[in-house]
Amino acid sequence: MLLIFTGSGAASASGPFGPPQTISREAGGLNTAIGYSYQEDRFEDNAQYVFRQNQIYSQASYGAQNRWEIYGRIGVSDLTISDAFASNNSSTIISSDRDFTEHWKFFGTLGAKGFLPVNKIVGVGAFLQGSYYFEHFQCEVAGTEAGAPFTADLKVRDLWDVNFGIGFQVTAPYDIKIYAGPYIYYSEAKANLSADIAGLAFGTQKISLENKAIAGGFAGVDVPLAKGFHLNIEGRYSERFSCSAAIGYRY
Amino acid sequence: MKSYLLSIFLFIFLAAGPVYGSDPIAAPVKTEASQAVVVADEVSEPAAETADTTVDPFEEEYHNGEYADNNAVAKEEKVEIADPLEPFNRAMFQFNDKLYFWMLKPVAQGYKEVVPEPARISVRNFFTNLGFPIRFLSCLLQADLSGAATEAGRFGVNTIWGIGGLMDPASSKELDLKMQDTDLGLTLASYGVGHGFYIVWPFLGPSSPRDTIDLAGRYFLNPLSYITPWYYPTGTKVVEVVNRTSLSIGDYESLKEAAIDPYVAMRDAYIQYRKKKIKRKNNKAGAAGVQLEQNLAKSGAN
Repeated sequence: MLLIFTGSGAASASGPFGPPQTISREAGGLNTAIGYSYQEDRFEDNAQYVFRQNQIYSQASYGAQNRWEIYGRIGVSDLTISDAFASNNSSTIISSDRDFTEHWKFFGTLGAKGFLPVNKIVGVGAFLQGSYYFEHFQCEVAGTEAGAPFTADLKVRDLWDVNFGIGFQVTAPYDIKIYAGPYIYYSEAKANLSADIAGLAFGTQKISLENKAIAGGFAGVDVPLAKGFHLNIEGRYSERFSCSAAIGYRY
Repeated sequence: MKSYLLSIFLFIFLAAGPVYGSDPIAAPVKTEASQAVVVADEVSEPAAETADTTVDPFEEEYHNGEYADNNAVAKEEKVEIADPLEPFNRAMFQFNDKLYFWMLKPVAQGYKEVVPEPARISVRNFFTNLGFPIRFLSCLLQADLSGAATEAGRFGVNTIWGIGGLMDPASSKELDLKMQDTDLGLTLASYGVGHGFYIVWPFLGPSSPRDTIDLAGRYFLNPLSYITPWYYPTGTKVVEVVNRTSLSIGDYESLKEAAIDPYVAMRDAYIQYRKKKIKRKNNKAGAAGVQLEQNLAKSGAN
């Protein structure tokens, strides 16, 4: 278990998973949240790239019986890919930033979770969550190739992921929920450059970037605040650390 | 441009006139055509008694018996408004009436059939939430800082945790941030601007010069008004009106059915509705003033 929690090579997936047990009323009801998430993930094709994202999202969930919940998120995210435009050819000199950077694009997430209480304090749950980016990310690279100036656009499109995990939860006094567990996931994105430039890893041919490893671990805490609000803080770790914070409201 | 706006404001101010005493809508009265539309909390005013009244058994029976009810009705407050544009207003009333029965109501009924009530309430919540700027500004202009803060809190909570305003968590028992029932018309009333005369606008319905400023303010302070091209805000306005109508089908019909002259009934209902709002606002301001005085007295005593 510990190996999975600190599994090598993997990074985090898209967005927090939240406590295994719904915060909705037992009779059934909505809960909503607004959150921020910082994501890091390592994708690979022939080379490896670190994807960094800042996400802001709004979430609506419906849950009941303290057992199950379905939820949807809509949000915006930026994207930075480190050294996406690094040249391995001495005749190609990049004059623009070597990192791929693009600002806010919309994404959506759908998920479902179930929870089985072992007793009043301890329980175990499972979730399935998937995200999709509705818009493509695009960034321009400029430089000279054998002395001739060039500009080209790199497009990253169809970024999506799916996650499945198991969470163990302990309910502390004041209804504070502490949880942790392992998860597996798959992420993919398509990328292509508008021109073939010698020395750049990307070309006009569309390539598929996938997450390098498939497993990670997560841990978090959900703290009830006043007047129906909740604070959720969660960290996900593999070889890089991702974190999220959300403030939810229970109807 | 400034002088143009100033002259429009001046015209409306002159047309509206000042407030008459403490009752901002008891302006020039046209009595013969009014119908009594009773405001529930204003009817229970007891009949005045004179000091030299001799006790007559028949008179006593008259006062204590069933005729007393009629007396109370006679004492009920009649609220009226000048209507110098009556021919025009009646024409516009007919136009709006036909618009409602021939177009709006059938569309709203069809909409009601296909969209469930919770969804329609959510749509109404969404548009109500977008009306935040006018309520917030009105509170500020009335120096109602508590109301402005409540509105700002409501807007924040409903936008963030109410899924963009579709839900209304701010009104929940736990948060208890009630919507401030105010507008620019009430703001002008608080500055002493009178109601002025009655006017019925095509599509928009009953109004007055003072409340027409509110209508203009609603347009300029509605974020949807600034979306381009023009048919987007127009389309959303149509959705808003159809949705709102679908939640109140039957109200207008009831008023019309019960009235001898629907035009007069609508005019009286409108003016009483506005008066009630002003009264409620004044009561709230009065209560806040008393509270402030008590707090000051307490702090002085300490």
